[in-house]
Amino acid sequence: MNKAIKSDNKQKVVIVPCSGIGKTYGTVSREAAYEVVENVRPGQTHLVALSLLVLGDEKSRESVSQYPSVTIDGCKLACATKMVEESGGTVAKDFAVLDVYRNHRKLKPKGIAELNEAGIKLAQVLAEEVAEVVDRLDFDAQPKQSTEGCNNG
Amino acid sequence: MTEYLETTVDKFIFRVAKDCFYNSEGVWARLEGDRVKIGLSDFVQQRSGDVAFAEVKPKGKSVNFDEEIAVIETIKVDISFSSPLAGTIVEVNPAMDEAPEVINEDPYGEGWLAVIEPDDWEFDRQRLFDAPQYFSRMKQEAEEEVAEGNE
Repeated sequence: MNKAIKSDNKQKVVIVPCSGIGKTYGTVSREAAYEVVENVRPGQTHLVALSLLVLGDEKSRESVSQYPSVTIDGCKLACATKMVEESGGTVAKDFAVLDVYRNHRKLKPKGIAELNEAGIKLAQVLAEEVAEVVDRLDFDAQPKQSTEGCNNG
Repeated sequence: MTEYLETTVDKFIFRVAKDCFYNSEGVWARLEGDRVKIGLSDFVQQRSGDVAFAEVKPKGKSVNFDEEIAVIETIKVDISFSSPLAGTIVEVNPAMDEAPEVINEDPYGEGWLAVIEPDDWEFDRQRLFDAPQYFSRMKQEAEEEVAEGNE
């Protein structure tokens, strides 16, 4: 049995955002992660702080090695993605805020501690994209119903 | 093959292509045949951050020396850049529309901005910095910025 499937058959996908402080795109990545974990897919996801992975926190390392991760990087250094991989985890999908912004140019994020309206909207758009990945991972993890033998009486 | 002058400032390594001339904003110009290719220096791209969008004036447009030729939007800032020479734009790098991150990945190569047919390259060239001159300016600027950041 897949160890990533809990007793409720819900796979917990780990969300790891950027930890860049003082950077607008880092803030967007964290806002998107909170949106996914708290509002959009609260039952199927949980957050792991990049800083804990850097510190080698056992519980965090265990999470990323046990469950698939979706990383949200604030810049092309891709610290979140690299750190999950270095911690023995599997990155199911890596998002970069910049790539999402390129597809939604009207949503230009500004602000650091507090995002502007466009930045908040961009985080929500990004959260929806992450949610689609979470759903796909969840679907793939469900035990498949066998149809063999259905017509054999 | 392009050779570089290189310096390390704090944790950053900056390269200056020896075969280019530079304006004060760090726009490089390299003579290729009878045309001049332009782009952004390694220092400029590192200081500006990941490029989100790059808009270069279109093919066929004439530009004067020091006239705006491109606007770059990065994760940190929006910056306007001036042309290091007068002439007519004969080619714009198609990657600027599709994948402007090439400016960050390969500033002196695949990340070029445009090719210009010069009005008078010999004249404009003398208004630019050669590689060693730009290298000194860039190094000083980088060291000052690092010092300010550490204050």
